[in-house]
Amino acid sequence: MAERVAITGIGVVTPIGVGLDAFGHALRAGCSGVRRISAFDCDGFDTRIAASVPDDFDGTTWVEPRKMAKLMSRSALFAVAAAAMARRAAGLGAEDVDPCRIGVVLGAGGMGPTDNDLLATQARAVIDSAGPSGNDWNVPRFARAFRERTNPVATLRGLPNLAAAHVAIQNDARGPNSTITTACTAGTQAIGEGLRLIQRGDADVVFAGGADATINPVSVLGFSLLGTLSRRNDQPEAASRPFDLDRDGFVIGEGAGVVMLERESVARARNAPVLAELGGYGVTCDAYRITDERPDAGGAARAIRLCLHDGGVTPSDIDYVNAHGTGTRMNDLTETRAIREGLGSVAQSVPVSSTKSMIGHLLAAAGAVELAAVIVAICGNFIPATINLETPDPQCDLDYVPGSARSGRVDAALSNSFGFGGQNACLLIRRW
Amino acid sequence: MSVDPALVENGRLDPLVRRLVAEVLVVPIEQVTMSRALIADLGAESIDFLDLVFQLEEALGKRIPFTRWQSYVTERFGAGDLSQAITAGVVRDFAECETRAE
Repeated sequence: MAERVAITGIGVVTPIGVGLDAFGHALRAGCSGVRRISAFDCDGFDTRIAASVPDDFDGTTWVEPRKMAKLMSRSALFAVAAAAMARRAAGLGAEDVDPCRIGVVLGAGGMGPTDNDLLATQARAVIDSAGPSGNDWNVPRFARAFRERTNPVATLRGLPNLAAAHVAIQNDARGPNSTITTACTAGTQAIGEGLRLIQRGDADVVFAGGADATINPVSVLGFSLLGTLSRRNDQPEAASRPFDLDRDGFVIGEGAGVVMLERESVARARNAPVLAELGGYGVTCDAYRITDERPDAGGAARAIRLCLHDGGVTPSDIDYVNAHGTGTRMNDLTETRAIREGLGSVAQSVPVSSTKSMIGHLLAAAGAVELAAVIVAICGNFIPATINLETPDPQCDLDYVPGSARSGRVDAALSNSFGFGGQNACLLIRRW
Repeated sequence: MSVDPALVENGRLDPLVRRLVAEVLVVPIEQVTMSRALIADLGAESIDFLDLVFQLEEALGKRIPFTRWQSYVTERFGAGDLSQAITAGVVRDFAECETRAE
């Protein structure tokens, strides 16, 4: 019989709380982390709301030596902090595991700089080099202006693979190291691939999760132009309303979640605290369209079924599903179909909720933070709510736990993530 | 960018260099002395020199191509043990050399 893979520590940096305890309390209380955007002047934007990590969070206190922090993008810093929290919770000592057997797999977003200060520098250099008509761009002049203002070191903040590199440096993790960029699915997929690393025998411990920090003018405008963002600017906390009839899009968020995955024998040998078992993983691609999901939800349903099969469970074993539940008109509809297809008759009674209703959509970090929500549910014996679900959509007719959290024992749960590009992933988490 | 003439007097460069080195390497300023090697003693790595040269450019209002820093160090020390040789004193000499060359 194959060894189980334990989850021995979790760290989260989220708009509703930093650290698993604070995060769990906020989930149970149904808090929303959505506010008016303060990271930049959003006057005139169609969407002026987002879910940001609180301003008083100082990630640099988790960085050793402190000097390394200057090389970290905002999302890399979130990842390093979350990994440090996970490690501390797991009580992993420097001598406990051979560094070559410790891996890192992180979901990351963006290519190029997404931090607001770097974007501002680029913008000023472009403004300085605009031609007389305003429509042409003098590239040599741009180069001089950009060069004058840009610290070469800052360029390193734009590389998405470096968050995983920083986590490795901070933790002396010399094993396999990779970065997954499947957007909304990245965090879930990173954790699934971390599971496979251990199952294949390539690592004994893996820091797995995701981080994203793209609340900047370019990204917000980009998602807004695609029509994917909620415009409920006058009621920020009510804007993220998955499965509700009046939903109008997702709310962009930022943060990070990192779990420590550990081979059972290694965890037992060092008496590690075990939160839950990571029991299964399913991953597929729609191969259909870039933004539309297959109407029959085939790819997503298959990811669910593969995950169940991988974990050796049947639909009736599932006590809770943490939905992808972005709050877009299409996702929530298609996901409802996917859950029906994937779980069959059980779909009618199993509680399904979207924690994005509270946290927002953390993009590459979403799957990881949502896994943390599932752990909190298992350990805390409650099922998080889908807040803001006031008017049910007749076409979304499952039990979405509307309004407030519900007491209940959760022994096995699924977590779904379905991204742009039709990339689908599902994880199974079980009580240990 | 205009250059503060006071910055180019010998006596005023040292405090500037000490401050910049302390900021770039994130060490207490008291630790930045002529005798302490930037790499061996204060933990500087290759990219810190890129950062340092950029900070000097900002402070002096001069453009200092990184290749000039590399040539300066190579000319002075050749293939010698750079980790011992690169001190705050070397950085000061380099900055003075650059402002005089302009």
